[in-house]
Amino acid sequence: MSKIKVIPCSGIGKVFGLLARESVLMVTEEKCPSDTETLCLAHVVTGDDEVVAKIKGETCITMDGCAKYCARKSVEETGGIVVKSHKVPDFMKAHRGEEHGTGTALTDDGWKYAEELAEILAEDVKEIKAGVN
Amino acid sequence: MITNKIGVISCSGEECLGGTISRLAVRKMMEELKPGMVSTLCLPLFIAGDGGEREFAEKYPTIAVDGCSKCCAKRAIEKYSNKVAGSVDVAEIIGEVKALEKPLSTRNVTDEHMEYVNKTAAKTCEIFDDILIKSI
Ligand code: SF4
Ligand code: SF4
Repeated sequence: MSKIKVIPCSGIGKVFGLLARESVLMVTEEKCPSDTETLCLAHVVTGDDEVVAKIKGETCITMDGCAKYCARKSVEETGGIVVKSHKVPDFMKAHRGEEHGTGTALTDDGWKYAEELAEILAEDVKEIKAGVN
Repeated sequence: MITNKIGVISCSGEECLGGTISRLAVRKMMEELKPGMVSTLCLPLFIAGDGGEREFAEKYPTIAVDGCSKCCAKRAIEKYSNKVAGSVDVAEIIGEVKALEKPLSTRNVTDEHMEYVNKTAAKTCEIFDDILIKSI
């Protein structure tokens, strides 16, 4: 099995895109580097042959910053198989009232939330590897 | 058409250092160098959006800030919206080899990385000011 593609939207206007990006980097760089990799979403949307070849028919997990689901939609349109799709606000309930930072930098609470999102993604990876989904 | 704002859009590439630099340079433009004068948009929204986002580069003269010489932001904007008014390639500023290094978390940004961000933002600013001058 090739590496699972974990792709964030990296939205730039608000903190949610940065939370998506940082949580994915924690998974691909630290938590599950041998089972996962990420791809530039902006490259995916160009539809270049090179990136289509990397993603078409591949198992993907997406983490979006909002309900526009840009990462999920773009990955699906390029032929990736999105088996798990999340958006950052889905897990906000336990974090109401916290200040997570901006699109530039996360606060300590922001990093804790990113870590929690990364754990959710790492669990997805484990499930997929175990063939449970 | 020149409005009171100029679009600055980053590729935010996730696969390499250049993408983090392009993203931070655009944030620096928004927050420090040209506050209130920059209009930005999440790049993937050009394609996935259904609320007229593709008209963005028709409404605003737009500068693309790309993390490497693949220039995905520039190409995506031109494919889905309009010709860009200017573009910046981080690889031309810090070198292709550096730009293609491992992706960088904002937790691990060093003074050297901030130097790259500052240079990229300064180049973007130059183009920004040129567009402004031409619009007067
Ligand atoms: S999902 Fe939302 S935050 Fe992410 S790129 Fe799209 S519009 Fe921006
Ligand atoms: S320009 Fe380079 S860094 Fe940016 S999205 Fe494309 S491949 Fe990634």
